Amino acid sequence: MKEYSKIVDIRVKVNGAEYRESVPANMTLLHFLREHLMLTGTKEGCGIGECGACTIVLNGKPVTSCTILAAEVDGSEIHTIEGEAKNYQLTDLQQAFIEHHGEQCGFCTPGFIMSAQSLLDRNPNPSREEIVEAVSGNLCRCTGYEPIIEAIEAVARKKS
Amino acid sequence: MIKPVAYFKPDSLAEAVEALQNENARPIAGGTDLIINMRNGTENPGLLVDVKGLDELDVFSANGKSGITIGARVNLNFLIDDAKLRNICPVLGESALSVATYQLRNRATLIGNLCNASPAADMAPAMYVLGAGVVITGPHGERKMLISDFITGVKRTALGKGELVVKVEIPEIPDGKMAFLKKQRCRGHDLATVNVAGIADPAAKTLKICIGACAVTPVLLKGTDELYRETDNVDELADRAAELARKSIAPIDDVRSSAEYRRDMASVYVKRLIRKICS
Ligand code: FES
Ligand code: FES
Repeated sequence: MKEYSKIVDIRVKVNGAEYRESVPANMTLLHFLREHLMLTGTKEGCGIGECGACTIVLNGKPVTSCTILAAEVDGSEIHTIEGEAKNYQLTDLQQAFIEHHGEQCGFCTPGFIMSAQSLLDRNPNPSREEIVEAVSGNLCRCTGYEPIIEAIEAVARKKS
Repeated sequence: MIKPVAYFKPDSLAEAVEALQNENARPIAGGTDLIINMRNGTENPGLLVDVKGLDELDVFSANGKSGITIGARVNLNFLIDDAKLRNICPVLGESALSVATYQLRNRATLIGNLCNASPAADMAPAMYVLGAGVVITGPHGERKMLISDFITGVKRTALGKGELVVKVEIPEIPDGKMAFLKKQRCRGHDLATVNVAGIADPAAKTLKICIGACAVTPVLLKGTDELYRETDNVDELADRAAELARKSIAPIDDVRSSAEYRRDMASVYVKRLIRKICS
């Protein structure tokens, strides 16, 4: 029988930068981002796919990085919260979160921003229901959600 | 923490089948159940065989007359978003929309949900009422079986060592209404307390109803075609189907509900379903 390795070589693009890394096959994508690439903006809440704090955009789609292995994403393009603001310039969505008090402790915020930005990218003018549905996989223990929805709505209205 | 594990991403089905012969090898597609189970230590595979590179699993076609084919790589959001599928077989998208969250549905697959064989699997009832078959490949070639023969118990399927589900095939879609309904404690993250799917063809007088989370496997009600032929009155039909449901299921007490409540809810949801698809 063939021997199979517990270490996997992967090549990924994260926020536009190319990485070639060797990772243990039991390492989640979340831990790879946080501990290998030191991109600690992506948070670990539950670690079991329920809270959305670890949401990143993988090949254009928001996913929970705690339920994916780094080994599985060879050849992929990844966007994390670190890639949002450019040259110290916040995105409209980040700015709206500040203006509408969409964050308190901030732990859920990177996940919300990634889910919401991805919604706005695929649908620039979402209805309130579509916004709620798009972030329904992101939990927030502080804000009560209303200011977050308002922030996303504000960006959608401004664009349209 | 997830225990050390080997990983292999085959380029061909033959390579995948060969790798799956290994002791303790598991296929991984979306991984949304498997990785969480590995983290909890409830599953400890020695080798993960990543099937996401296999073209044979990346198939999808939907056509009312010749049926629907869905490969093992197709994720749940795809089933929700595909306009043609929504048109000819909306019950698949409705079922999929009730599963987990948008992020997880970008990874989770229909076939993963079926292979995981949870009694509460949200994609299963629709498969039963549509008479879906699974196409399996393995060391002894290909075989096909009905979904009701494939799911054999709690977390158990008819898959043998080294076998892999390649796709599901749904035969000709009957004309008529179909729906999926789910009772859960809170919307979004909770598994089903009871789920039901149904399809009614008023011209051919066929009625299929399947109830999930109320026995070790989903329960396809027997005798519903006859009931449908015996009465045109929707209320009567709903009552009689609900009675049939009560007798056909064997729910248990667990964290989500008592058996008694499940039995009541199965009856309520079957009635709601009948009103939706038979009137
Ligand atoms: S940490 Fe990934 S969903 Fe909670
Ligand atoms: S701001 Fe604290 S969890 Fe959302």
